[in-house]
Amino acid sequence: MTRDWKQFFPFLISPFLLLVVWWWVAAAGWYSDDVLVSPGAVVATLEELTANGELALHLKASFFRLLTGFGLGALTGVLFGIWMAISPRVEAFALPLFQGLRQVPTIALIPILILLLGVDEIFKVIIVTKAAFLTVALAAYDATKGVSKNYFEVARIYHLPKTTLYRKLIIPAITPPVFTGLRIAFSRSWTILVAAELLAADSGIGQMMQLGREMFRLDVVMVGVVITGLVGFSIDKLFKWAEIRLIPWQAAVKA
Amino acid sequence: MQNSFYKWIPDWRGWVLPILVILAWDAMSRLDANHAYAFASLGQIWAGVVELSRSGELLVNVQASVQRALTGLLLGASAGFLVGSLVAVSRTANILITPIYHAIRQVPLLGLVPLFALWFGNGDTSKLIVVSLSAFYPVVLSTFEGMLQVDRRFNEVGQVYRLSRWQIYRRITLPAALPQVFTGFSLALAFAWLSTIGSELLFTAGAGLGNLMMNAQEASRMDVLIIVTFVIGVLGYGMSLLIKLASNHLFKWRQVG
Repeated sequence: MTRDWKQFFPFLISPFLLLVVWWWVAAAGWYSDDVLVSPGAVVATLEELTANGELALHLKASFFRLLTGFGLGALTGVLFGIWMAISPRVEAFALPLFQGLRQVPTIALIPILILLLGVDEIFKVIIVTKAAFLTVALAAYDATKGVSKNYFEVARIYHLPKTTLYRKLIIPAITPPVFTGLRIAFSRSWTILVAAELLAADSGIGQMMQLGREMFRLDVVMVGVVITGLVGFSIDKLFKWAEIRLIPWQAAVKA
Repeated sequence: MQNSFYKWIPDWRGWVLPILVILAWDAMSRLDANHAYAFASLGQIWAGVVELSRSGELLVNVQASVQRALTGLLLGASAGFLVGSLVAVSRTANILITPIYHAIRQVPLLGLVPLFALWFGNGDTSKLIVVSLSAFYPVVLSTFEGMLQVDRRFNEVGQVYRLSRWQIYRRITLPAALPQVFTGFSLALAFAWLSTIGSELLFTAGAGLGNLMMNAQEASRMDVLIIVTFVIGVLGYGMSLLIKLASNHLFKWRQVG
């Protein structure tokens, strides 16, 4: 335990130094408030936004969109990815269109979606769904394609029922790479949601930052930056933690 | 021989869905006035292509965006390569730089847009910083990991020959890590292109495909949006194809199978 701490400690030096320099430069008063605010002011704004419930409101709006969109996109993505990998017919029909769509960055679709759907809730959910769907579908497709042909042959020789084929062979084989795909898809979904909220929203953490930008409230923007960073970081850690719990054999391989 | 010839003829089944989507889109645009407003017909889109190319608008904005992406890529990737090398070679640098790098990287890049807007304004400076950062992150990581994975025995041989630290880096670490550095570079290109479009959408001032899209959205010009989105996809694909070809050419000696 103490040894861990000793190894870890040096890595805290530079963040601490950075904080001190930030605080010191802000205290020296060389820059105006809309260019540089002190760490203390950021914390004070964070407390204020927490106390008046504004932050909770924005986070709730963002999380609702994120979870709905990601849930829809990830679920359909996994199913579609596996389907496309298993059925040669679906692959022949759908893969070219799929590969073509993949070339367009999700963010470039925002203007078209706004024109089609308006700036309402549905637009933000759909853009997140799209981001999650493509990433997850591709991961599931690649993973299923990567399952050795020999396994399928053995399964055919033994006349394995379809359900057993899925439960005993395909699902265990593709779970680790699909999980990685889910993790990447979640962080992409979060990024695209924040961007969509910056562009067009009446609530959400992105909109909070956008308002801060328009009112030259650097402290509000900084709180938003810290919060989006923390959310992204926590989600990533959560997925890694879940990966170890859910897929113990993969963790064993890595260790 | 015959097989390789037939490989060049795409499977007809792959065309069915895209053509159906286009036909459905066109049909939607003909339903009624309301739909004609939201969905642009094929004729409108073609008229838009003619209009945009005649006025030179498309070319100007393509140039602005590609130039921004490549400049940002060059700046970000060079900085990323330097920082990645430094962190891989020096333990002190690793201890000082790594925590800050990982802390900043947690913030979604486009989430930094409001901050940069306050600091650097709404124009090209802010956009270039966003694009450079997007290219910087993956190159740091791939350079660092590529250099750490170099077989220790190679370094030991270098030490036996009494090579200086610089010589070991220049003649052993760098060449061995180069393919992975390049992998990071091609990732960086994809991110640079994405963040070019993203930053042009979010920072309002200046030229670029993203700005063209924002103007088209405000004017409700679906035809222009479709054209620009298509161009963005094709350009992104073209650039990544170029990088892939370059990588195949440069690292022939590395390829297995």
